[in-house]
Parts: sequence; structure tokens; C-alpha cells
Amino acid sequence: MTTATSAGAPAPSVQPYPGSRYHLTFGRVLSSEWVKFRSLRSTLWTLLITVVVMVGFTALIAAVWRSNIDSISQDPDAVGLGGVDALTIGVNFAQLAIAVLGALTIAGEYSTGMIRSTFSMVPRRTPALLAKALLVALVTFVVTGVATVISYLVAVPFLSGTVFALDLSDASTLRVLVGIPLYLSAIAVLAMGVGALVRNSAGAIFSLVALLLVIPGVFSGVPLKWMNTLAEYLPSQAGNQLLTANPTGSLSSWAGFGVMVVWAVVAFGAAVVIAKRRDA
Amino acid sequence: MIEARGLTKHYGSKTAVDGISFTAQPGSVTGFLGPNGAGKSTTMRMIMGLDRPDAGTVTVNGKPYVQHRSPLTEVGALLEAKAVHPGRSAYNHLLALAATHGLPKSRVGQVIEMTGLEAVAKKRVGGFSLGMGQRLGIAAALLGDPKTLILDEPVNGLDPEGVLWVRNLAKQLAGEGRTVFLSSHLMSEVALTADRVLVIGRGKILADAPVQEFIDGGSTRSVRVRSPHAAQLAALIARDGVTVTAADEPGLLTATGIDAAAIGEAAAAAGLTLHELSPVSSTLEEAYMSLTADSVEYHTTGAPTAPTTQGEAR
Repeated sequence: MTTATSAGAPAPSVQPYPGSRYHLTFGRVLSSEWVKFRSLRSTLWTLLITVVVMVGFTALIAAVWRSNIDSISQDPDAVGLGGVDALTIGVNFAQLAIAVLGALTIAGEYSTGMIRSTFSMVPRRTPALLAKALLVALVTFVVTGVATVISYLVAVPFLSGTVFALDLSDASTLRVLVGIPLYLSAIAVLAMGVGALVRNSAGAIFSLVALLLVIPGVFSGVPLKWMNTLAEYLPSQAGNQLLTANPTGSLSSWAGFGVMVVWAVVAFGAAVVIAKRRDA
Repeated sequence: MIEARGLTKHYGSKTAVDGISFTAQPGSVTGFLGPNGAGKSTTMRMIMGLDRPDAGTVTVNGKPYVQHRSPLTEVGALLEAKAVHPGRSAYNHLLALAATHGLPKSRVGQVIEMTGLEAVAKKRVGGFSLGMGQRLGIAAALLGDPKTLILDEPVNGLDPEGVLWVRNLAKQLAGEGRTVFLSSHLMSEVALTADRVLVIGRGKILADAPVQEFIDGGSTRSVRVRSPHAAQLAALIARDGVTVTAADEPGLLTATGIDAAAIGEAAAAAGLTLHELSPVSSTLEEAYMSLTADSVEYHTTGAPTAPTTQGEAR
């Protein structure tokens, strides 16, 4: 009887490998991303900065309103602001910290070479990027949700008894409180998408500052009607409709947030398509 | 087992890897040898699915790398020491890699111990020396107890003890039936570690043979002859298949295609005095250099050895 091994080539005795239990699953990729996320100081710092900025600005704004309350009209419609708007101003600064967080989770891997380890472990790449986006959105939602609750509790004593008094039974107040973590989670995903496309930490952060702050400022400042309309559809402007007690502009609160989510999904989708095609 | 067929990669107008085909067998160490810029790293990245080939295919353990359900237990790779985030500790880096496949934490501890990283495991990788970074890369490659190992320049930056350890490790892993594919730009390193050598230059395979065969085939044995009658002697022994070269020094000849005994007998028969008659076998390094001489991407100016001109003494 002939054997399967060719003559001359010694058949090596390959040891059995216990490989069957250990394989890729999306849950495991997600847990790996969690290990990566919590083991970097930069991510913890940006989250801490986010919370401090959100709570600090709320306290500052609420205190300023309180001390100037005599010079402010007592008619809510004339003021145009709601008490909950005291929380939103800090969000516009906190979004930069979240943008840095989102961009760094992926651009930091590209700039250091870590991405080659990541894509060696998860060679199909999409699960790794999806896990990253999901994780950064979840962590942002939870952390900024807690920061929103703290901000609210800080603002209540300052604003009680004034025209800005906070009231949880008010629909627009509740919408803004839920909207803040939703908005920042969308920023995180958008930033991750931009970070994966630019593949460089500094470049990604520059692009995001331009997209979230500079371009909206220019577009809405220029006295051209079509540019002002266009500005309403930029991600931060559109998303801000969810964060104000009395939104102005053509988009409703949730339609505005919807536009923002479209931006985030498109950026992330483009990042996945490009990452699968490009050499790592 | 690694099988490449017609593997090609261009970067812009430059062809990094030019239609190469080879097989790395289980149970042996295959040395992948070539000068810097020859296409070794590009080939290894294509094996790992990191770079997309422009043409051709490469499979590991029977499948393209991306199609494996459990890549970490199939293939372990050290592609470059710095595929690590410098802000993360060695332990957390390995833990993150292990987590993707559900490997237990205890396995992370094992590879840290195997690679001698216990003392620095909790330190951030940014502060690591080249040698420690290399050990961490090897730890990552061993993590999944893989059937195939791909090691790109594994001894770079290691101290002599580390170099010896890598050599023994590669042989041991191959002895266990695994495929070990190891690149180096140093012939001596491959000669000491590999069973088979694959030489690449300017993106093409120049040689693919068992190490000993490569050494024998690539080297031409020659005889050094010193005689006051050099010109006469050269004329005497010159015939088909024999090349006689005059060295810079007067009276010194180098003959190939003829052995020392034949030269000695010819000289004795003609009554010519010999001052020296010594067989010279070329070294591995020379065999490798002569093979890749035309395909070195980055030449240093000023060749280290003067090339000999043939047939001057005829």
C-alpha cells in the first residue's frame, strides 16, 4: 500500500492544536476594543476633560444668569432661551474633546502602526471598525449622560425661582437632556470616520475643528441666503437643533439630529469602504 | 504551509514584488533572504492580508489569510516591532490581541514569560528598547500557538543571547511540525537557522533550495596558486572549463574548474616551482553576494571588494 507522503520528504508529526475553541467573534472583537480603550491614558483624559467642561460651563452660565436675573426679562418668549440652554453651551466645547477621542481611537492606531496588529487579528477589518465605532459611541453616551445629569443637578439651585427654572415635565427640557449624549455620541462616530479616512491624528483633529466649528461659522456668517441654508445642514449646526429649548431654522429638532446621524453614518461607511481597499 | 503563486505588488511605477512563487513547508524553517528593499516585507504583508496583491495569490494553511475563522491560531506574525501603540503596556497590548479570539489571560502571562518580558510587562511600550520591542513582537506572534509563524527580521536589535534564543526557538517551532518563515538580510543568520533558503532580489526569486545546496551551488571552489612562473603555469593549465585569474599581486593566480592536485601535477611535470597551492572555498556570504550583486536596491558607493577580471593571464 502506498502512503500519502511522497518519498524522501519526512512526514512531520504535527501536534494537535486546541484551536477550535479560540476563534473570532464580534463580541470578542468588541471586548478587545474595550481593553484597548481603557488602557490608554489619552482616552481617559479626554473623557475627564469632557465631563469637567460640561459641568463647569453649566455652573458658570447658570451662575451668570442668576446674578443678572434682574436685568433679564421675565417673559420666557421674549428671552428666547430656556433654562436647559445653560447646559448646551458647554456641549459646544465638550464636542471638541469627544471629536479628539473619536479621531484618536483610529488615527492613533494608524500613526503608531498598531493598525497592522489590529487588522492582523481581524483581517476582514469591518468588524474591528464597527466594534470601535460602537464602543466609542456607547462610552460617550454613558459618560456624557452622567455629565448631563450632574450638570442638571448643578444648574437647578441656581435657576430655581427664575424665568429659567428647570422643569422635567417640560417636553423640550427632556428632549435636550436626552439630546446631549445622543449628539455627542454622533460626534464620536463622525470623528472616528474622519480619523479613519485621514489616518493621522493631527490631520483628523484639524479636519474636525474645521467641519464642526470653522465652516459653520463662515457659512452662517456670510450674507448669502443659500450659504446660510447650507450651514443648517452641516453636522454640528443640524445637531444643535436637538440641543436648544426653542430651535430656530428650517429643520425641526429631530430632523436636525437625523441630518447629523446621516453625516456620521456616511463618514463611517466611507471609512469602512476605504479601509478595506487600502493597504494597512 | 505558505503557498505563493505569481504574487505581484506595485507601488506607483515601482514593482516591489514581481510575480514570485514559492512554498514554505511545515516542519521546516524557510529563510527568506534578500537585501534591504528586495521585497521581503511587502511579501510578508501580502501573506498577512495587510497589503493587497496586484496579481497572484498567497495562501496560508490552505486558505487566504483573510478567510481564516481563527487567524491568530493559524498564523503568528512579527511584521515589525513597532506595530504597537506606545502608550499601552506590553501586557495590555497582548491582552487586547488575545481578547479578539477569546484566549485566556493565562496565555498572555505564558508568552510574556516565554519571551522574558516579565519585568517590563506593565510598562508602557513607548519606553522599550529595540530588543524589548522585538521580544514583544515575538510574544504576539506566539500568542495563538499558531501552526505557521512569519518572522520579519526577528533578530534585529537583539543582544547575542537573544539572537541565539530566536535561532533555537525557530528550530524548535519547526521541530514541532510548524511552518516557520523567517526573513533576514544576513546570509549567516539564515544559514544557521533555516533548512531551506529563498533568495529574493528586486522583487524576484533568485534561488530556492535547501541551505546546503544553495551554498554548494552558489559558490565556485577555486585554488590559489603562487608561483614565479605564473604566466607559464596559467598557459599550462588553461583548458575548457578552467578559468585562471591573475590577482593584483604579481605571481598570484586564482584558478577555478580545476583542483589543487591537478595543478600540482601539471607544475611538477613541467618542472615549475610553486610557492603556494591552496584550495579556497567561497563563504556563504560570498555566494549570497554574488547572487544578489545585480539586484541590490541601495548600493553603498565604493564596493568593499574589487571584482576580479577573468582571463587576464591567458
